[in-house]
Amino acid sequence: MKRLLTIAAALGVAMSVGTAADAADRTVKIAGFGAMSGVVRSFGINTQAVMQAAAKAINEAGGVKLADGSMAPMEVTFDDDRCNAEEGISVVRRLASGDAVVGVGPTCSNVAEPLFGILQAKAGDEGDSGLQFPIFTDTAIKGGLAKISEWAFRNVPNESQMYKSLFEWLASQHPDAKSVYGGVEEDFAHSRFTWYKVMKTRSADVGYEVKGESKWLLNDTNFTTQVREMKRAGADIIAISAHPFTTCGVLKEMARQRVKYKVLVGLTSSSSLETLNGCAKQAEGIIIPTSFAPVNPEAVAAADAAAALGGSADLHSAAAWEIMMILKDVIEAAGIQATADSVQADRMAIRDGLANLKTTKGLLGEIQRTDEGEAVKPYVYVHADDGSWAVLHDPNA
Amino acid sequence: MDFYYGMAQLIGVHTLLGLSAYVVLLTGQVSMAQAGFFAIGAYLAGMLTVLAGWHIVPAMLLAAVASAFVATVVGFPALRVKGLMLVVATLAFGEAVRIFWFNFDYQIAKGNIQVGPLGGEGFKQIRYFPENGWSTADVALFIWAWVIAAMVALWWLDRSRVGSVLRAVGEDELAAQSVGINLTAVKVSAMTIGGFIAGLGGAIYAHYTTHIEHLNFGVILATFAIAYPILGGLSSVIGVLIAVIFIQGFLVEVLRFMGDWRNLLFGALIVLAMNVRPDGLFDARAMRTLRRLFGARDA
Repeated sequence: MKRLLTIAAALGVAMSVGTAADAADRTVKIAGFGAMSGVVRSFGINTQAVMQAAAKAINEAGGVKLADGSMAPMEVTFDDDRCNAEEGISVVRRLASGDAVVGVGPTCSNVAEPLFGILQAKAGDEGDSGLQFPIFTDTAIKGGLAKISEWAFRNVPNESQMYKSLFEWLASQHPDAKSVYGGVEEDFAHSRFTWYKVMKTRSADVGYEVKGESKWLLNDTNFTTQVREMKRAGADIIAISAHPFTTCGVLKEMARQRVKYKVLVGLTSSSSLETLNGCAKQAEGIIIPTSFAPVNPEAVAAADAAAALGGSADLHSAAAWEIMMILKDVIEAAGIQATADSVQADRMAIRDGLANLKTTKGLLGEIQRTDEGEAVKPYVYVHADDGSWAVLHDPNA
Repeated sequence: MDFYYGMAQLIGVHTLLGLSAYVVLLTGQVSMAQAGFFAIGAYLAGMLTVLAGWHIVPAMLLAAVASAFVATVVGFPALRVKGLMLVVATLAFGEAVRIFWFNFDYQIAKGNIQVGPLGGEGFKQIRYFPENGWSTADVALFIWAWVIAAMVALWWLDRSRVGSVLRAVGEDELAAQSVGINLTAVKVSAMTIGGFIAGLGGAIYAHYTTHIEHLNFGVILATFAIAYPILGGLSSVIGVLIAVIFIQGFLVEVLRFMGDWRNLLFGALIVLAMNVRPDGLFDARAMRTLRRLFGARDA
C-alpha cells in the first residue's frame, strides 16, 4: 500500500510538473510581416520594433491569459515580403502552415490586396477553399481592402474622413485660399488612391478649384517637369500624395524653383521621421492628418518603447502597438488554448473575437470598428515645425 | 504542407515564363517581350473567369491564343532587327502593354464589390480557385500538369527536325539561311510558341495571386523571364526548371531572413553561378551525365 501511495504521489508530482512545464512552454505566437528591404523598408523595420516593444510590455506585465487561466508570453516573429505580392503570399502560406495564431501586416497595399484575396472570403463558407488565417493590418492603408475577406482586419486610419475634415478646417483657417493642385506618386496603390479618390474629391467637396495634378513614380529622382507644371498652375494649396522618398525630392525641387503656395498638405504616410530626416527644411509647415502623435503619456510611452528597440512610432507603426494590445484583449476574451493541437481553433476564435469588436482602445482615444473589419480612428493634424512634428490642431478637442 | 504546395505553384508559374523565353532564345533572339505576353494572358484570363464566368481551362487557352496572336504580330516587325536593337524593341513592346493595362478600366458590380481591371489600381478578386473549392494541392497539380505538358512539348520539339532548325538559326543565321531555312518564319514561329506559353503562365499567375496590376509586369519580370533559361542553360528544358528553383526556391525563399543583404547576395550568387557554369546550371555535360544515369547512350 505504501509503495502504491509512493507511486501515486510520484505520478501526481510528475503530472503537476508536466502541466506546469506545458503552461510555461506555451506561447502565443504573433507573426508580423512586411517590407524589411527595398525602398519602403523603414515601414517594416518600425513595425517590427513596435511589435516587439509591445510584446515586451505585455510579457513584463505577466503575458496573456489562456483559456485554462494560465499565463503565456507573446512571441513575435517578423518576415520580409519586400513589398512584393508573390512574396507576401508565400510568407503568409508559410505562416498559416505553422503555429502562429494571427498575422500582423503587410506594409504595402499592393501586397494586402492579393493577400486578402487568397483568404476565405466568408468565414465558415465550406465551398470556399481560401486560407483560414486571421490577418490584422497595421500599415497597408488603401481604402476599403478589409471587405475582401472576413479573415482580414485593419487598424489603419480612414483617410477619406481625415482629409474631408482637414480641408474643411483649412477652408475656415485660410479663407483666402481658393484652389488646389495635386502631386501624385502615380504607381503606388496607396498614394494614387488617396489623391484621386480622397484628396481631389474631398477638396472639391469643400469648394476648392482643383487645377490638376503632376504625376511621378516611386523610383523617380528627377521632378523638374512636374514641379514646373505645379508652379505654372499657381494654386493656393499644394497637396502631395506621395511617400517620404519622393515627397522630399519634390519639396527640394519646389524650393529650387521657388514655388509659391499658401498651404502645403502631405500624405498620411509622410508624417514620419523619414520625411524629417530627408528634407526637414523644405518640409517646414507641411500639414498632415495622422492617427498618431505622442500627445499623451501612453502614446509617449509607446514611442519611447519603440525607440528603445531601434524603431520609430508613426501613424503606421503605432497602429501595430494598438493591434498587439487589441489582440491581447481579444485572445483573453476568446480563451484560446495556445497548444499545437488548437492552432486552427485558436485562429477561428481570434477571428470571431476581432469581427465582434465594436470599439477598441487606441493611443489617441477610442477606435470605432466597422462591420467590414476597418477602423475609424481618432486623429490630429500635425505640421513640420523646426525639424519635428508638432500637433497643429486636434479636431476632437 | 500548404506552404510547399504554394511554392510549387509559384515555381510552376515562373517555369512557364522561363520556358516562353527559352524557346525564343533557341533561335538566338533575346526577347524582353515575354512579360508583355504574360500580362496579356493574365488580364484576359482574369476577365474571362471573373467578368464572363468562364471555366479556367477555356479561359487560359483563349488567353494563351490571344497572347500567341499578339506575339506573331509583334514578331514580324520586331524580329527584323537583331541583338541590342531587338532587346530595345521588345522591351518597348513590354512597356507598351504594361502602360495599356495601367490605363485600362472595365468594371462590373459583383456583390458589394466592383470587379474588373481598374487602371493603376489593378484587377482584384480573381478568385476562381478558392471560390470553386480547389485546395492548394489541387491548384499545384493543375499548374504542374500545364508545366509538364509545356516541358514535354518543348522537349519533343527540341528533339524533332523543328528543334534542329531552331537551334541552327540560333547557332548561325547565315549558315541556316544558306541551306534554305526561312529565318523570319522560324523566328516568328518561336515567338508565337513563346507567346502562347507566356500567356498560359500569365493566366495561371492571375489566378494564383488573385490580384494583378501593371507593376507586376515590368522590366524586372521581363529580366527574370530571360534570366531563367540563360542561368539554367539552353541544353534542355530542365535547365529552366533548375534555374527557377534556384532563384525562387533558394535565393528568394531560403534567404528571406537576410533582409536587405538578400538583395545583394541575390545578384552576387547569380554572377557566381554564371561564372562557375558559363553554359548554364544544367549544361550539355550535366545533360550527358543525366542521360547516363538513366542508361541512355550518348548520341
